Amino acid sequence: MYNYYNYFNNVNFQKQNLRNMDYQNDNLFNPYQGLVRGNIFKNLYQPYKNEKIYEIKPMNEQAKILTDIDALEFAMIDLNLYLDVNPDDQKAIEIYNMYRIENEELLKFYQERFGPLLLNSDVLNNMPWMWDNKPWPWEN
Amino acid sequence: MWKYVKKLEYPINITKKDLNMAKNMMAQYGGPDSELGAALRYLNQRYTMPDEKGFALLTDIGTEELAHFEMIATMIQQLMKGATIEELKEYNLSGYYTQHDHANFPIDTNGVPFTTSYIEATGDYWADLESDMAAEQRAKVTYEKLINQTNDPDVIGPLSFLRQREVVHYNRFKELRDYYINKFKG
Repeated sequence: MYNYYNYFNNVNFQKQNLRNMDYQNDNLFNPYQGLVRGNIFKNLYQPYKNEKIYEIKPMNEQAKILTDIDALEFAMIDLNLYLDVNPDDQKAIEIYNMYRIENEELLKFYQERFGPLLLNSDVLNNMPWMWDNKPWPWEN
Repeated sequence: MWKYVKKLEYPINITKKDLNMAKNMMAQYGGPDSELGAALRYLNQRYTMPDEKGFALLTDIGTEELAHFEMIATMIQQLMKGATIEELKEYNLSGYYTQHDHANFPIDTNGVPFTTSYIEATGDYWADLESDMAAEQRAKVTYEKLINQTNDPDVIGPLSFLRQREVVHYNRFKELRDYYINKFKG
């Protein structure tokens, strides 16, 4: 478990913590490196021509934490597709669950501070109804 | 059923208006190899996959394609944001303005409306999975042509992400096809 109260002091959270929480795994990019590539599987990664990596540059703390959620959920999406066809890979199931548990904590932390991302969030027990609140995903 | 998560799969924050790219992006919103087509293709085919591996993979990739449809919608919205009638006219979008204003609407980059004849569901796993692999390849090439037409990193970032997803999906469909061919041989 991370100390989220130190979170805001760590400007490079998504480059450090997500890297540290990775299992030593030669086959997978960590969640953030996977997100910026669109692929966590090193053996499948196929960049376009001399494509460079486009770093995600969150403009505030809220966007920074959301990027970490994006990264963890992306890793889960990619592992899920792999596990659909390879359901007997124990290591992949362990990594999936590590990211899942970490993401649950981070989602709770984010939603308490910045509002709901999901309709089962505890913060929906408030007046007025918070689901409407900005930002909606397509707003920049 | 589906549940909404109030965020994008990959963050999009485009600040530079670009009507030419907005128009080009419609290829992936309502074109033959669009994210809309991909979602409908897999979510219709999933019922006739031979076993649970196919049910799961086509459900999950189909669901991810819906998230990509939302990403493309977001890119079009942000690329067109604040465009005046004069600017839209300049980029041959006055017909679009007349019918849709600043709303999103699934047509392709030439204005051809989305049609279900772009997708297929034969009821045969082998035929469907090979058509899915080809669809992923065509979408990948479309993303490469979109990347070739912009220098804006805020646009290339999400386009590269989406292109790479086509690579992964292609490989998963191929893995599933090979598994079925081996399972049902002889």
